Amino acid sequence: MALLPILQLPDPRLRERGARVETFDEKLHALIADMFETMYAAPGIGLAATQVGVSLQLAVMDCSEAHNEQRVLINPEVLAEDDLEEMEEGCLSIPDVQEKVRRYNHITVRAQDAAGQSYEIKAEGLLAQCLQHEIDHLNGKLFVDYLSRLKRDRIKKKMVKLHKREQ
Amino acid sequence: MAANSTEGASVRAAAARAVFATLGGRNLGTALKEAEAEIPIGRDRALLQALAYGTVRDHRWLEALCGKLLRNLATTPPEVVALVEVGLHQLRDTRVPPHAAVSATVSACDLIGHAHARALVNAVLRRYLREARTLEAALPGTPALRFSCPDWLADTIRRDWPTTWRAVLEAGQQPGPMTLRVNVRATSTSAASKALEAAGMPACAVAGAPDALRLHTPHAVHQLPGFDNGTLSVQDAAAQLAAPLLDARPGMRVLDACAAPGGKTMHLLERTDELDLLALDSDVGRLKRITENLERLHLTAEVHHAEADNPQRWWNGKPFDRILLDAPCSGTGVIRRHPDIKWLRRPTDIPKLAAQQRTLLEALWPLLAPGGVLLYVTCSILDAEGAGVVEGFLRKHRDAQEWRIEAEWGEAARVGRRIAPGGDWDGFYYARLRRLEG
Repeated sequence: MALLPILQLPDPRLRERGARVETFDEKLHALIADMFETMYAAPGIGLAATQVGVSLQLAVMDCSEAHNEQRVLINPEVLAEDDLEEMEEGCLSIPDVQEKVRRYNHITVRAQDAAGQSYEIKAEGLLAQCLQHEIDHLNGKLFVDYLSRLKRDRIKKKMVKLHKREQ
Repeated sequence: MAANSTEGASVRAAAARAVFATLGGRNLGTALKEAEAEIPIGRDRALLQALAYGTVRDHRWLEALCGKLLRNLATTPPEVVALVEVGLHQLRDTRVPPHAAVSATVSACDLIGHAHARALVNAVLRRYLREARTLEAALPGTPALRFSCPDWLADTIRRDWPTTWRAVLEAGQQPGPMTLRVNVRATSTSAASKALEAAGMPACAVAGAPDALRLHTPHAVHQLPGFDNGTLSVQDAAAQLAAPLLDARPGMRVLDACAAPGGKTMHLLERTDELDLLALDSDVGRLKRITENLERLHLTAEVHHAEADNPQRWWNGKPFDRILLDAPCSGTGVIRRHPDIKWLRRPTDIPKLAAQQRTLLEALWPLLAPGGVLLYVTCSILDAEGAGVVEGFLRKHRDAQEWRIEAEWGEAARVGRRIAPGGDWDGFYYARLRRLEG
């Protein structure tokens, strides 16, 4: 297993839409294992393949405190959503930034697991929020897109400055 | 999606608290138990332990880096310095991504009651990220500093191990392997090795320690096939040399004078049937671990709470055929497993410990039957606690004779045999004495 580098705003690859996963082979399983390791180390509760430079409809999640509820989300589609609410959110590609965004408190998603089996999940609260956040990533969308232009520009500037200093 | 930012912060704060407590004289294991109370998740506890142990292990080097990074090391609150050391350790020696290490460590300032230090900690850690190479290169390369050892201890080790002292210091910086002891009463080492292999935990034999298997990578004890039912125990290979050396035979009366937590006691009972074994320890809490171990391994022994150096209180007058004296010591041979030893011991402790070891030896010798054998053991690598003690004792006692240890491990000392820490072995000292008849 290996830790993968997480792309950071404003990396253009974060804006790519992931391609559908068609082959469920060992290579995919190795990628999934590395993504879980990377996510836990970050620490995060969700990580999309597009965040580690792999343009696929694939994300891993674990919203549990005990780190024992691993979920693999492949080729997801949203079937239903309800109850818009403001929720505080952060992203591994935008370190040190936490902002309130509007998310659905209830959501139903259909997706495939690591073996390609199709499943449906009805989620609420943090899990619902995380599902929306990861599905956005797979479509090239970031949570800062929901913020005002002023706030978004300020965050972008901060990130660019941070990268310059760290290089 | 990022985890709530306070999650990682509490682990860093707990690690800093444990490090701070240890540098103030507390045992790291105890300090960690207290710090763990605030960390409910198993995985985070593992991280906490790794951060605290890693920081304590490299403390001297990290402190020297702090000296370069903090303008006023002396006036910076020591809790904050401990937190900066935890932060630097993450950036130098762990796979935690640097931005996560910095942000979690900065957030931890609030949790240790030094919120005002956020900007300072942030600036210091980010400067280290930018200038790591220059900063590290600017520190003097003396072995004592490089291997984070206090000068007095490095000097003593240099005197006692004149040709290999650098390797001895370096070995203290590498965490020891996880070594198992196979209960030969329940199974064979080859069968146990196969069972481990089948469970995905490959292990190999250790030359010189017949019942030992060294795991290639450490695992939680309760996952081991055979820990809970008493087939396997965890014990360093060097500690597993005691039982075979003592050469106890069925029916013999045996004293284990400083027995807790009971690893060597269990090994004696596993290897030899029908021992009449008395296990003593002066610490009630640690004594409980002996009874727990006896239960897990389905063994029996008489367990007494007593001071070994005061036999008139507990000895019934019946001589012992074998005595195992695993004397309290500086623990300088197990620094790789307990790095806090480097900061907890003081130079003045060594003569005190040596005096206590001499007292124990003197007090127990009369309890040994003529022809009987006493095995003196410490996990110290200092001459003053090893050959120094036994040599003096032999000079005074005409009825004591060394029964030389011939072995493939370690090296002969002036009296007895010693093992340098590193690889398969913790650092140990063994001397075997026979009481002459008449």
